[in-house]
Amino acid sequence: MSERDREEIRRHIETCPACADEVRTLERLLESADSLGQNMKATLAGIDWDAQAEKIVAAVWDEKARPEREPRRERAWLFAPRLRPVLAGLLLGIMVGAAAMFITYRSGVLEKPPAEAFFASSEFLGRVDQEMARRETLDYLEKSQYVLLELAQTQTESGNCRLTEAAARETRELLGKKRYLNPQLEKARMSKAKAICDQIELLFYELAQVSENLTPAQCRGIQNMIEEKNILLKIKLLKKELQESEV
Amino acid sequence: MEDKRTTSDEDISTLLEKAGEGDRQAFKDIVSLYQQKVFLLAYSILRNREDALDVVQETFMRLFQKLDTYEKDRNFQAWLLQIAKNLSIDYYRKHHGRRREMESDKSVEELPLAAEGHWSNPESSELRHVISRNLERLGERQHLIFVMKHFNGLEYREIAQVLGISVGTVKSLHFKAVRNLKNWLSPQLGIQP
Repeated sequence: MSERDREEIRRHIETCPACADEVRTLERLLESADSLGQNMKATLAGIDWDAQAEKIVAAVWDEKARPEREPRRERAWLFAPRLRPVLAGLLLGIMVGAAAMFITYRSGVLEKPPAEAFFASSEFLGRVDQEMARRETLDYLEKSQYVLLELAQTQTESGNCRLTEAAARETRELLGKKRYLNPQLEKARMSKAKAICDQIELLFYELAQVSENLTPAQCRGIQNMIEEKNILLKIKLLKKELQESEV
Repeated sequence: MEDKRTTSDEDISTLLEKAGEGDRQAFKDIVSLYQQKVFLLAYSILRNREDALDVVQETFMRLFQKLDTYEKDRNFQAWLLQIAKNLSIDYYRKHHGRRREMESDKSVEELPLAAEGHWSNPESSELRHVISRNLERLGERQHLIFVMKHFNGLEYREIAQVLGISVGTVKSLHFKAVRNLKNWLSPQLGIQP
């Protein structure tokens, strides 16, 4: 605030009773506050400040001395003259060890030889595929043959065609197995085996769609299908052929 | 009183240098010169003589640790009081916080002031007593500024250095503190709020 502004305010206060009152109030408040501060300082009188200063300095010096003494003791122990040969030996050992590691590493002794790559000819892989397909097909044919024979046998004895629970479960499993067998047969180019397995699969679909208790008409229909297509005979011949063609 | 001795910046710098070199007497001189100012500030925050004396000791211990970091251009008193203020607030929060939380739901920032002291002066007026009680109601910065200005006798510039704020902010906060006190004390001052 400039001197001119101050003078202006001063003149205003002289002519304005409200502002003059306000100023007097503030002055009274601040005077009281200042005297409160003086009173507060009276509390200082009850303290022996010389003794207090000495106490503080003693505490500071004590604190200052403490951290210095402890590390010095540690260092003194660590670097005691009698331990110097040990320290020198340790240092030398570390240096020699590091140099040895460096030389060994550089010479390549630690490097692992490259792993030999596995190689198999496509002909060999083809034969493996064929063998796996052959075994899977044989297994499929064998299980199918049991189911179909059981079906024929049941009909013969009772005159009422009925699949046992085990045969019905086997039928469902063989339908699932055939789905995984298809790509193997195609890959191994076993078209004849695939054609016969497809016929068996069709038969099992028919069986799965009818209930376990087949009516004589349904039973006869399936039996006719087996006979007409010579399924059991084809299974027998294909099994024989696959067994003979073992790789 | 010792703190009334006039000490130039040069003298202080010399004493600080000597103290840094391990001169015990130089450090004691510094303590003697400033301990009462530190005490007043700590006491105004903590309202307890023994606690304030603890903070005084802690302040000078901290000062000794920081002697290497002191810059000669800096106002030493402001720097020292800044340390004292921070330690007082830390001390208050550590030792009084829980008790105060149970007593009141005021915020931590509303620190109390040395208001209910045992004034031995028989001339203490009712107004002073009421002022001291109402100082507690001021916010932290307002009451610190008020205390430093009226109890420690610091200039606005020095208060600004202690609190790390601008002189303008100090003036503004001081004005707000006075205005608040005036409003609260209107009945005692015989004026309309």
